[in-house]
Amino acid sequence: MSVLAVQGIEKRYGGVSALAGCSFEIPGPGIYGLIGPNGAGKTTLFDVIAGNTPPDRGRVAIDGADVTGLAPHRLASLGVARSFQECRVFPEFSCLENLLFSGRRQGAGQAEARRLLELVRLESYAEQPAAALSFGQRRLLEIVGTFMQQPRLLLLDEPAAGVNPALLETLSQFLLAMFRERPSVLLVIEHNMEFVMALAGEIVVMHQGVVLERGTPQAIQASERVIEAYLG
Amino acid sequence: MKRLVALAALVAALYAVPALATPYLLHVMVLSCLYAIPAVGLNLMLGYTGLVSLGHIAFAGIGAYVAAWLMVDARLGFWSALAIAVAASGLAGALIGAICLRFRSHFFMIVTLAFGLMLYSVMNNWDDVTRGAAGFPGIPRAPGFTTLESFYRLALSGALLAFAIQWRVVRSDFGRILLALRQDERLALAKGVNAALCKTAVFALGSALAGLGGVLLVSFLRVAAPASFTLAESINAVLVVIVGGAGSLAGPALGALLFVALPEYLRVAAEWRLVAFGVLLVLIMLFAPRGLAGLIAEGWRRVARRSQ
Amino acid sequence: MAAALLEQVINGAMTGSVYVLVALGMVLIYGVMHVLNFAHGVLFMLGGYLCHFFLTRLTGNYALAVLLTMAALAVVGAMLERGVFRPLQGNLRNQVIASLGLILALENLAVALWGPNALQIKVPATERLVALGELRFPLQHLLIIGVTAAVVAAMFVFLKWSKFGTALRATSQDRNAARVVGIPVERMDVASFALGTALAALGGALVGPLFLVFPQMGDAPMVKGLAGILLGGMGSVPGAVVGGLIIGIAESVSTLFLPTDYRDSVAFAIMVLILLARPRGLFGVRARGEP
Repeated sequence: MSVLAVQGIEKRYGGVSALAGCSFEIPGPGIYGLIGPNGAGKTTLFDVIAGNTPPDRGRVAIDGADVTGLAPHRLASLGVARSFQECRVFPEFSCLENLLFSGRRQGAGQAEARRLLELVRLESYAEQPAAALSFGQRRLLEIVGTFMQQPRLLLLDEPAAGVNPALLETLSQFLLAMFRERPSVLLVIEHNMEFVMALAGEIVVMHQGVVLERGTPQAIQASERVIEAYLG
Repeated sequence: MKRLVALAALVAALYAVPALATPYLLHVMVLSCLYAIPAVGLNLMLGYTGLVSLGHIAFAGIGAYVAAWLMVDARLGFWSALAIAVAASGLAGALIGAICLRFRSHFFMIVTLAFGLMLYSVMNNWDDVTRGAAGFPGIPRAPGFTTLESFYRLALSGALLAFAIQWRVVRSDFGRILLALRQDERLALAKGVNAALCKTAVFALGSALAGLGGVLLVSFLRVAAPASFTLAESINAVLVVIVGGAGSLAGPALGALLFVALPEYLRVAAEWRLVAFGVLLVLIMLFAPRGLAGLIAEGWRRVARRSQ
Repeated sequence: MAAALLEQVINGAMTGSVYVLVALGMVLIYGVMHVLNFAHGVLFMLGGYLCHFFLTRLTGNYALAVLLTMAALAVVGAMLERGVFRPLQGNLRNQVIASLGLILALENLAVALWGPNALQIKVPATERLVALGELRFPLQHLLIIGVTAAVVAAMFVFLKWSKFGTALRATSQDRNAARVVGIPVERMDVASFALGTALAALGGALVGPLFLVFPQMGDAPMVKGLAGILLGGMGSVPGAVVGGLIIGIAESVSTLFLPTDYRDSVAFAIMVLILLARPRGLFGVRARGEP
């Protein structure tokens, strides 16, 4: 039974078809990169999986159980966590409070929260409101928050966007460390090829609302179809 | 520990007020308590959860009229009527809240406004049940609390109960959830918060508290009249919460005291008082959005910093 | 029966026209600034009071008084936009609360300055009755309908064909894009607020001779204007016109079979029904914040 199975997902917004029969399966833990040109439907796919929007057609299953169209909070309790393209944190909560809130269902305590903050070098900001952080720091906080939820399926939407190169290294290291500690399915939408190719074990390419190809980073980078999709 | 002692001293002092106060002052204090109770409910909704309800006082009206009918027509005792009326307001809050909460921002405000106006219309026009515009007379004071002094203690107890509930909610996990919902509902959902349920719950709680205030009000006035539950009164409730400091524990008390006590003390005509409050509300929005509680906290911080 | 119905339809067209004026003002402000100005009712009320003032103290000419009132309140509107709404831009909650403060302040200011009792705007010229078949209406009724129709027509021409009107429409559709093409967005804000306020003032000035001038006179029209724009679709100018008229006519016609006490509830009920059944209204586009 696959951890995540997406079958025939279709989604239209007005006259535009965002997803046109998207299907793929993820058998087990791993870091998967989800790439594709703009308009390929990547974020829409996340919105469907995470319950932010119901698909017009198709099925999403987690560990074999049908979760299509469930509300986001129900999916969260089933072990799905996500980050957002626009980077969302609770601005008035301190960094610590943000993390404690994220991990409250798992009973994660201050010790764990502080440990993770240290891993991303934000421990000195623990008591500061999240709004006081720079964008890159907030992105780190957001992602740490998702790990506090101890998810089985983690959807990261362009985690590297807008983050300066120095923090990117910290982010990469953090993601790998977390994955080693607790293997789960990490699905990472990215446009930063350097970042995602180095991080992911497998790459899924989307184009015009469907899965175009999947394979190792090396295979995908050499694939003519993929190159055409980006250029064409 | 020091705080607890200070709080206990304050509460004791408040209960002792009748021994030292003139009937006029007592009257003012009673009204302050009666304004503070629904304000606590609205503070939980607006201040902590970010729900701008423009029809809050209508729920005070529901509590008031249910209690009135139970006590006068059904001849029920005060305490039973109170309990049922508060439950009724809470239930109405849950039902109407569930409808209103399907909307966001502008639309939420408009629906709450509309429901408030509709409820007022019913109170004003359904003569058979509500006695119409003239009001529902003959509402008794609670047995044993018929004098001004004793009613003050009753109203004070009601207010302290409301504040205790507020404190308990704010300190709890539920309180954290409310704050999260106010800051970013979408994110809260992604973190496993059942937004619809939680917002409905706080709407119901807020409405129940409004109902409590409503019952005590009409017991004090001995009449339940629609004029006590107009749109203007709902706006006053927002005023009390915002000026006092939305999202702060002491806010409703500060706001109610300011709204009721200060003008009485200054002896201005009612209209000019309200003009001043209207202007104050605008100024608060422009320059001190966290209200009195925010200003006091800021002042405290400055003093503390200077003394270091 | 037909006569009674026609009578109520015309009554409704009259009150509906007043709601249209209020609704147009609110929809203009909402469209450009994305602010729901709850204080629109008190501006309407001030229109009534100022018209009375100008008529009795400055000029005996009603038309002139009305124009002066519109001008004066346009200035007030511009000041409010600059002083209150612009600093709070982007924060909807605070803008709405500020507008509540304005309601409180201005409504009670009217009581403080003019007393709680109603004033009368006496315009003998429009008191005479006009015959429509068997029915008789005061000229003021028809004046209201006529003036509103003219204003609506002028509005359409202005918004569709004038440079300024097009700039207003552009700003309401996409603020940033408008800025990019060089439209002075801040000036659009002031203009829409001034124009909207002038329309509210016109409503108050027109209604004064018929229904007296008193501090709470704007409360119901504000809510009904709101109901009108909800019905027509938030942000839609034709919607405001259609919505306002429907509310007015529905209200009046309802008195034929509902106790008149519940007349006001018709508008509220329509509001709630629209929000539940079709939040975008008749002509509206799906906006942010809708379920």
